[in-house]
Amino acid sequence: MSMKFSTKNFADRTKDNISDEFMRQAVAGAQERLHGRRLDAAEELGNWEEWRSHGEEIRQHVLENLDYYLHQLSENVAQRGGHVFFAKTAEEASNYVREVIEKKDGKKVVKSKSMVTEEINLNAVLEEAGCEVIETDLGEYILQIDDHDPPSHIVAPALHKNREQIREVFEDKLDYKNTSKPEELALHAREKLRQEFLAADIGITGCNFAIAETGSISLVTNEGNARLVSALPKTQITVMGMERIVPSFEEFEVLVSLLTRSAVGQKLTSYVTALTGPKGEGDADGPEEFHLVIVDNGRSEILGTEFQSILQCIRCAACVNVCPVYRHIGGHSYGSIYSGPIGAVLSPLLGGYDDFKELPFASTLCGACTDACPVKIPLHELLHTHRQIIVEEEGRAPISERLAMKAFGIGASSNPLYSMGSKAASTAMKPFTKNERISKGPGPLKEWTDLREFPAVGNTRFRDWFYDQKGGK
Amino acid sequence: MTGTIQNREAFLSGIASQLGRAQKAQVEKPVWKHQPQRKVLTGASTDELLDVLRNQCEHIHTELIETKLVDLPAALDNAVKLYGGGPLSLWNDERFEEYGLTRLIESDWPAENIEVHTWQAELGERNVELAEQANIGITFSDLTLAESGTVVLLSSSDKGRSVSLLPTNYIAIIPKSTLVPRITQAADLIREKIDSGEQVPSCINFITGPSNSADIEMNLVIGVHGPVRAAYIVIEDC
Amino acid sequence: MKVSLFITCLVDMFYAHAGKDMAEVLERQGCELSFPKGQVCCGQPAYNSGYVENSKSAMKNMIKTFEGAEYVVTPSGSCATMFKMYPEIFANDARWKDKAQALADKTYEFTEFLVDVLKVEDVGAKLTGKGTYHPSCHMTRLLGVKEPPKKLLAQVEGLEMIPLPNAHNCCGFGGTFSVKMGDISEQMVDEKVNSAMVTEADYLIGADCGCLMNIGGRAERTGKKIRVMHIAEVLNSRE
Repeated sequence: MSMKFSTKNFADRTKDNISDEFMRQAVAGAQERLHGRRLDAAEELGNWEEWRSHGEEIRQHVLENLDYYLHQLSENVAQRGGHVFFAKTAEEASNYVREVIEKKDGKKVVKSKSMVTEEINLNAVLEEAGCEVIETDLGEYILQIDDHDPPSHIVAPALHKNREQIREVFEDKLDYKNTSKPEELALHAREKLRQEFLAADIGITGCNFAIAETGSISLVTNEGNARLVSALPKTQITVMGMERIVPSFEEFEVLVSLLTRSAVGQKLTSYVTALTGPKGEGDADGPEEFHLVIVDNGRSEILGTEFQSILQCIRCAACVNVCPVYRHIGGHSYGSIYSGPIGAVLSPLLGGYDDFKELPFASTLCGACTDACPVKIPLHELLHTHRQIIVEEEGRAPISERLAMKAFGIGASSNPLYSMGSKAASTAMKPFTKNERISKGPGPLKEWTDLREFPAVGNTRFRDWFYDQKGGK
Repeated sequence: MTGTIQNREAFLSGIASQLGRAQKAQVEKPVWKHQPQRKVLTGASTDELLDVLRNQCEHIHTELIETKLVDLPAALDNAVKLYGGGPLSLWNDERFEEYGLTRLIESDWPAENIEVHTWQAELGERNVELAEQANIGITFSDLTLAESGTVVLLSSSDKGRSVSLLPTNYIAIIPKSTLVPRITQAADLIREKIDSGEQVPSCINFITGPSNSADIEMNLVIGVHGPVRAAYIVIEDC
Repeated sequence: MKVSLFITCLVDMFYAHAGKDMAEVLERQGCELSFPKGQVCCGQPAYNSGYVENSKSAMKNMIKTFEGAEYVVTPSGSCATMFKMYPEIFANDARWKDKAQALADKTYEFTEFLVDVLKVEDVGAKLTGKGTYHPSCHMTRLLGVKEPPKKLLAQVEGLEMIPLPNAHNCCGFGGTFSVKMGDISEQMVDEKVNSAMVTEADYLIGADCGCLMNIGGRAERTGKKIRVMHIAEVLNSRE
């Protein structure tokens, strides 16, 4: 799957998803649970704002000095016997992975969850090269066997599916005979996947944070699949977005604490694993060969721009879990593997405005995302910056809107014009007004009155009343 | 063995130019303005940390067993039987002897036909197979994080990654003296190792209870790819 | 205390009664009110739609209009937030930057002004029935005014406040969002209305007329019986 996975336009995708009752219940339920858990986890600390500020200063420092830390990381990975490949593009990255696998004559690949490998379309490239690629995160596994259904959430990719749908997929594809109880479904996946882990020659992981000083990569999961992927196959390939790096373990621990609390409300997830190089001398488990692929794919072009702070992101999905728009339209409406507020900012940057120009407008700028972000990315402000670029620099707004906004600039800056207009409005709206309500508005009002009543323009504006009362002060 | 690095220079100079400056050869890590992590459970006594751990274990679906040093063999034996006995997979760890478990491991369990496999570097991959077939994996905790209820395991050729991962159940033995407030102190431990010229272990695991997943309707399922049950045995050693 | 009213275009044209209520509450607290005549709109509708340049003339007009004011008080958390953003918007404009800052510094949302500046929580209001409060997004998150409305409502005689489920979720107004993304907005406002109905409250109270126009307009269209009130109306109720 590459970043964009739908050819439908935003409005159609949204319509489809709004009518998906199950998805909407699942998302609303998940949001409410995660919202509560995240607040509890933050409140428990008593000084959450200070934690956020620390997260922010670490991430900002890393981005400002990214070249240095990536250099240090690569030196230390190589010093421990690992191989580092810097990939400018998605193609370079996935081709390198393919070549490594071909050299090893690898056939069976087990993968732990990684958004960046989705972004670079890795599975398709490997499958084309004749590899069997198996996603091992339970959510990703469900989507993969369901004919590559796209992920709808960056942390819980199968959030949009219910247990009955999952049972059907299992029955269909895995010859599953049991009930739709999550325990039974998970057990079945455990048994199926355990065999795959043991038989795989190649393990591919993402990377939550790389640690520059020690040349380590880290994996954060609850299921333990990333541990299996990195412990059993002979060759491990880790793919990371180039910004997912911290100076040392001191910063690593802070960001992991922020990540697990924000993502799932846990103090730490069941497994946090820091891996350094291939297995050590005399180790019986762990990979013999370790490759680290560091992916740019459009990220460097964000550096040094007004969008730089989006690269602070640690992929916790706290913004997604509080977004009132995501709540109703779900992840698939975004048409990108990155959904919710982070997706609405990031997708147009990595994938361009042609495909994703609606996303920044699919927000009320309510600021819930900014509030939730553990590393203080001003998400709603970045959405606004996108809007500004789209309408002012790219000129992509409809002409009628542009004219209206121009008129606004003139009318709203001049009291005489406004006074005249607002008085005239009262008269002009009279024919549409009944019981001090407008139910069928003309022109631009129609979109409002299709859904809601609109208040009548008062006969007496506040200013008229005030001057009557106070005698025109 | 040294690895390779490809395409680095162009990649990094691109980053530097986007940032509007020359590439940096040296960067001093700043003194951070905020250090909230240092304020968590500072000054807590070991007993207070144990209280925190006890409470946290209730949230992470992990059974906490507390025992005096003399009763450790009985406590471990009980726990093993509660989880259905062998085969067992163990680290090759001098602490088993130090904490008086040699007789249990070398005589008592074999006499009861409980199969015990202690990790042996020279057996190579066979270790992994045995761990995979084991019912219970048993390790010591190198450092125990009270806040999160986490055992930290530093792997080595005697201490395989698989022992805490592949068996159906997992038991961590926690000397009370390994208790620290939180993961911050684990980072400090690693800092000490680096400063004394040691290499960071190839694998450091922070394990917090059994494996689980909420990928199906956000319903928590305990036991997915890793162990399905976990128990911590805390020994009064200080 | 001299207070210049920033009434907002929405209140001026559609909700003049909420403006009157605010004025009367403030006067009762001893404020001397003025209404700087040049005021029109804070520029938010265009600004939030991305038309930053087109919105600046409206902003400059507001900066000029309120130049002589001691305190600027407004019945809208969202419009107050907009004033607070002026300094950043004009950060690179030497001519307007300081003036923008001066305006931001003296601007207060109505309930914030009552509680934090006038130090009053009981304004002597009486209203019988059950109420539920919708905390509007800009006011709560961007302006940071969370407690004042709750403190004031808690003192209203006869009014029992019931928590609104999922109160933190946006009502789906979002200015032009409400018409540009009507499908989504509809879902959001329906959920908000339904949440309010679940409380069985008689009044849905808010402090921003944009949200209230959205929630009230939808409640009315879908036949949901709940009275939507601006907090100024509640605080000016004497029954």
